[in-house]
Amino acid sequence: MDPLPDPRTQAVQAEALYLLNLLIAPGLAFLLLLGLAYQQRASTNPLTRCHVRQTVWVSLQAGLLLAVVPAIIALVGDLDAPATWTILVLYFVCCHAALVLLGVLGLSRAIAGQTFVYPLLGSRKW
Amino acid sequence: MKYESQAVAKPYFIAAIGLFLGQILFGLIMGLQYVVGDFLFPAIPFNVARMVHTNLLIVWLLFGFMGAAYYLIPEESERDLFSPKLALAMFWIFLVAGAATILGYLFVPYATLAEMTGNDLLATMGREFLEQPLPTKVGIVIVALAMLFNLSMTVLKGRKTAINLVMLVGLWGLAIFFLFSFYNPGNLVKDKFYWWWVVHLWVEGVWELIMGAMLAFVLIKVTGVDREVIEKWLYVIIAMALITGLIGTGHHYYWIGTPEYWQWWGSVFSALEPIPFFMMTVFAFNMVNRRKREHPNKAAVLWALGTGVMAFLGAGVWGFLHTLAPVNYYTHGTQITAAHGHMAFYGAYVMVVITMISYTMPLMRGREANSPVAQVVEMWSFWLMTIAMVFITLFLTAAGILQVWLQRVSTEPMPFMAAQDQVALFYWMREVAGLIFLVGLLLYIVSFFIKGKAATAT
Repeated sequence: MDPLPDPRTQAVQAEALYLLNLLIAPGLAFLLLLGLAYQQRASTNPLTRCHVRQTVWVSLQAGLLLAVVPAIIALVGDLDAPATWTILVLYFVCCHAALVLLGVLGLSRAIAGQTFVYPLLGSRKW
Repeated sequence: MKYESQAVAKPYFIAAIGLFLGQILFGLIMGLQYVVGDFLFPAIPFNVARMVHTNLLIVWLLFGFMGAAYYLIPEESERDLFSPKLALAMFWIFLVAGAATILGYLFVPYATLAEMTGNDLLATMGREFLEQPLPTKVGIVIVALAMLFNLSMTVLKGRKTAINLVMLVGLWGLAIFFLFSFYNPGNLVKDKFYWWWVVHLWVEGVWELIMGAMLAFVLIKVTGVDREVIEKWLYVIIAMALITGLIGTGHHYYWIGTPEYWQWWGSVFSALEPIPFFMMTVFAFNMVNRRKREHPNKAAVLWALGTGVMAFLGAGVWGFLHTLAPVNYYTHGTQITAAHGHMAFYGAYVMVVITMISYTMPLMRGREANSPVAQVVEMWSFWLMTIAMVFITLFLTAAGILQVWLQRVSTEPMPFMAAQDQVALFYWMREVAGLIFLVGLLLYIVSFFIKGKAATAT
């Protein structure tokens, strides 16, 4: 008889893909995350629904924060001015590190079999 | 506290905290000297303040590691320490030697100190972080060997666990790599090459083993999670630390005259160095999420979680920021390095030692946890020190980015000292953040003196 599937599997996969998207394979990992979300769209497991919903939603916001905002800083600021680079690099490093840390919290909660709402960015319903 | 001999850790921890306070005071003096160049000159010149600041850091962390080992290893080995008297004797030798060395730095011109202490017999002084006179270096080796004998005998006669073995391997590594401080070849490239075998292979190698063992020990105690689960995490973390950290030494070899291939080896392996710190963060949070008990020492749990986060940020993120050779070409030796150094040391090693002190001190004073009021003060100290360190890092990073631009990217590059003038505002802000850090540290010390009924598990 096959063992029962671990209810945490998809939740951990979602959080791992969220982190991979931020750290190693931006874009590709997000596509895989979207694929996972599509595959699990009818899931009734609250753990899966929570983590998949959180990670897709926060990944979209992360895209805005890490691509669009820096682009605006670069466009509005003068790239020949050191102040622009100081703000740009500090913003990117802090924002990226904060998003990764949130992912770490999410992953540790998923491994522990607990739901998690990303502070400030996360969706309150799933 | 299960074994009476574990109490030898207490003087080590007290000395560690005292020296930590000294380190911060000299950091503040030096921080002010960045913007008020002649502050306390000629009594405490900048180079002396810097030497005292960094040497005190190393010495107090060593006190912390030793104290942690004397507490952790008997408990893990399920037997008393092989020789508590030897441990206490080594404490006094190390304290007297350390204090004499710092006084020597402060009151004797460095060149005279070198003459007085036999540097002409075996020249080992004058190198950053390894400025200690020859007798001090020999003393460190004697203290380390005596400690390793004491701890190894304890483990050999007792239970072997992943935690005490990893701790012991880390401490042996610490002692072995320190031996390279005695090797000082005339060729400057070789000198720097092996100098990193002490400096890098300590902080990005064997110290990570010590850190992992200490964190695992405290997490088992405060969460009640099965030892098997925590030990598996520990094995993977230390494997990743060694796989990435050993060849990651190459990120120090980019511009010192070594072959060009180090730019590839150093970049690739050190880019992977955040992995063990990333895992430590997941590990700490995961264990706390899966906890089977509510430990009354909430401050220790906070320090343990903080260690994971701040080590990942300081060592992982801020390390990666300037570790790739093409980036390091511009950032090498700027305030970006200082930003990384401050947060990495605080996050990885200061916090893990405080985690251990926070967990063990109440036990050595006869209670499972301090009173709720004492813990609240301690948690305030956690937030003040940690937030201050975040700001110190941010200000130094900003100063560093500006410095890189002005000195190395601009079409009309400025000389070093002219660029320093331009970043003075960030140095002032760093100094203010440093003062807040000092307030946090003073609160931490005060928390030991707050009495009250011991907290109980809820």
